[in-house]
Amino acid sequence: MKLALELILLLPLLASLCHALLGRVLPRRLVETLACGAIWGSFVATLAAAAIYNGPVTIELGSWLTAFTFTAPLTLYLDPLSLSLCLMITLVCGLIHLYAVGYMQGDPGYCRFFMLLNLFVGAMLLLVLAENLVLLYLGWEGVGFCSYALIGFWYQKPENATAGRKAFIVTRIGDVGLALAIVLCFQYFDTVSITRINQMGSAVPLGLITGLGLLMLLAAMGKSAQVPLMVWLPDAMAGPTPVSAQIHAATMVTAGVYLLMRLFPLIGLSAMVTAAIAVTGGLTALYGATCALVQRDIKRILAYSTISQIGYMMLGVGAGALTASTFHLIEHAFFKALLFLGAGCVITALHHEQDVFRMGGLRRTLPTTFYCFLAGAVCLAGLPLTGGFFSKDSILAAVWQQGGTLYGGLYALALFTALLTALYTFRMVFLVFGGNSALPGPGSPDRSPSPLPPVMQWPLVPLALLGLGGGLLNLPAYLGQGLLTQFLAPLDDGGHGIALATELGLQGVAAVVALLGLALAWSRYGAARRGQRLIEAGQPATGLTAFLLAGWQVDGLYRLLVVRPYVWLAGLLWQQVDEGLIDDTLDRVALLLGRCGRGLGSWSCGRVSVYLLSLGSGAALCIGWFAWVAL
Amino acid sequence: METTLFYILAAVTVIATILAITEKHPVHAIVNLVTSFFALAAIFFLLAAPLIAMFEIIIYAGAVMVLFLFVVMILDLGHPERAARPGLFHWLPAVLLIEVILFSLIVLVSVRVGPPAAAPMITVQDFALTLFRQYGVAIEIVSMQLLFAVVGALYLGRRRKA
Amino acid sequence: MIVPLTHVLLLAAVLFCLGLGCVLAWRTNVIMLLIGIEIMLNAAMLAFVGGSCHWGRADGQVFALLIIAMTSAEVSLALAMVVYLHRRRKTVNVDDFHQLREP
Repeated sequence: MKLALELILLLPLLASLCHALLGRVLPRRLVETLACGAIWGSFVATLAAAAIYNGPVTIELGSWLTAFTFTAPLTLYLDPLSLSLCLMITLVCGLIHLYAVGYMQGDPGYCRFFMLLNLFVGAMLLLVLAENLVLLYLGWEGVGFCSYALIGFWYQKPENATAGRKAFIVTRIGDVGLALAIVLCFQYFDTVSITRINQMGSAVPLGLITGLGLLMLLAAMGKSAQVPLMVWLPDAMAGPTPVSAQIHAATMVTAGVYLLMRLFPLIGLSAMVTAAIAVTGGLTALYGATCALVQRDIKRILAYSTISQIGYMMLGVGAGALTASTFHLIEHAFFKALLFLGAGCVITALHHEQDVFRMGGLRRTLPTTFYCFLAGAVCLAGLPLTGGFFSKDSILAAVWQQGGTLYGGLYALALFTALLTALYTFRMVFLVFGGNSALPGPGSPDRSPSPLPPVMQWPLVPLALLGLGGGLLNLPAYLGQGLLTQFLAPLDDGGHGIALATELGLQGVAAVVALLGLALAWSRYGAARRGQRLIEAGQPATGLTAFLLAGWQVDGLYRLLVVRPYVWLAGLLWQQVDEGLIDDTLDRVALLLGRCGRGLGSWSCGRVSVYLLSLGSGAALCIGWFAWVAL
Repeated sequence: METTLFYILAAVTVIATILAITEKHPVHAIVNLVTSFFALAAIFFLLAAPLIAMFEIIIYAGAVMVLFLFVVMILDLGHPERAARPGLFHWLPAVLLIEVILFSLIVLVSVRVGPPAAAPMITVQDFALTLFRQYGVAIEIVSMQLLFAVVGALYLGRRRKA
Repeated sequence: MIVPLTHVLLLAAVLFCLGLGCVLAWRTNVIMLLIGIEIMLNAAMLAFVGGSCHWGRADGQVFALLIIAMTSAEVSLALAMVVYLHRRRKTVNVDDFHQLREP
């Protein structure tokens, strides 16, 4: 078991190191093989660990930080939650690495790319497997750094570098929350070990738990792009599509949810914290769905969709249903990665065109991509009997179960958001794949799509199958015991025993809502109406559309409230204080010394009158001193 | 009586000197100065130094001051009585400094003076003997100095062929 | 002695300060400079003579005589220089001759 865990962690990290040091001298094929091989090796090691798994296990690999009473050893903790997440991460990332080989085949920076990608996987696995908060924070920061480096991968274009910086700075705000929480934990619990902290819930006052919970929520808001720290994720689409798929859909953005789930035994004791988490999740879900409704860039649609779906996961955590959230997290990883990879195929095929209103007819030209993308879309919309349907429905059921006005309102909100989700998903599908061949681009009439390498197409198939069949992972109670429920039972006492009739009723409502969304999308974007929508898209956006297109103008709001005062203050400190006060003081001192020197120099002017005065003054001084002494 | 005379002569000296200092016209200043020297000579006489008094009048007031007058006349300085008095910038530092020095000197003078020795009056013979016996070398040197002065004055004063 | 030495010395101090004041106040006019110097030297002579009378030794008077002699020499040279400079520059302002300053 220890070996398996070590391999899980070390393979990606060592591969990254190898790329960093030797990548330039090794042949390209070898570099790519090494990168993919490391992740698949981790997957195999995870399968081995799962095979011999028979209960939570803590393994210490060595000591790391020690100071007085503070210890943070390199300890890994394998329990059902981290094991299932590890499986998902290694599998999805493995498929995405294969895809990335094809996507980046013309790019000269492949060495740096695969190094960062492997480093990212290593850091993410460290985050998931960490037993103490400091090691988790190490993984947290590692994924943050890799995200920054990969978003700004094509840094020669300034907007890419700016997007990377924006992501880093905004997530930093959340990281402050986590760092404060770690310090508070050490101060009050005398330990930073997660397993021990989770057991101390009964020994401390509720106010402390609420404080810790809210700080953790802040960290999760930053990393998982929840309201109000979600502004970085749409701009992060400036990175290559495999990066968007891996980091900003499947893995890193779920780290915040994972953190909350990990520490749920402690922070779940405070009703205020769970309510805050649920409200954040609900609001974010609505925000993401409304914004995705009007976007033109295919990757931005998917980015807002990610924000919305993670809002669902947070809502599930806030409702206390950890199993439902984990189920949705794993499902979402499958179909969102699938959608992003499919979008990457579309973009590459159309010579890097990303505007959905300029696409069309691709269901005939890219059949494999079309069917896989469609599979992902039905999962995202939550059409009945797909994996996405079961996972989303389990969250809705958990929220309904909580009862009370707050959760009732959140249920209604989540249901409305499900309608919007179906709507924007099929809008995207109809616009991209429907109709006839794409509008001719300016200056190049009737371009035929460029051929896609097969390595970009066939990783989509396993993901599609996993997405559609993922419902088998956790069938509802009336269809057999959910595998995941059984697996995660030690963590989650969410087996409230929901009544069969209620469950069927809820599922029926969810199904109706999803189909309604599909119908609405068809009525607006299907067949003939599609052409009309394309013409309308030619005009600039106005009113509500413009508001939603700009993401509820949050960027503008932050610029007004935070950025402009900060820039003003920085300017003030620079010009007034640094240059005016500090530099000028030194300058003035120097000038003063110069003037003194010149003043003294003008004493030897050759004029007798000056010399006579000096003589007289000197005599006065000496004689005066004698008189003073004699007194 | 001699005491009173001393004080009167002292007053004359000081007043004449002050007038000499504050005159714009150099000739007026020099004449006031001569008055001052005459009073000073009388004081010397009262202080049992008749030879010095005579030398003061003959050489100082008679020769040196006359020389001053000669030079002032030669220079032909125009109409000095219409010239400006020295301004504030000139006499204010002077006044300040001499006040300091005067005060210090007064303090020094009044603090330490030894007791008077029983002093016999000095006669001219005493003076002559002291001068030529103990300070003979000084006399030689001073005479040579006078010679140098004459030579130098001659050199500086010669007219060049224009 | 007819008056205490202190009084003689006081008179000498006053005269000395007057002479110094003349030098400092008229420090641009060379003729008044020289006059001030004369006054100062006279004050010194008075101090010497007073001292010799107080202690009954002739040394003070000898020194007064030497001062007179030295003064004559100095005055003659100084006035010769004044005449010379006046011929060159037509001024008695001592500040106009400042070429000997440090470069």
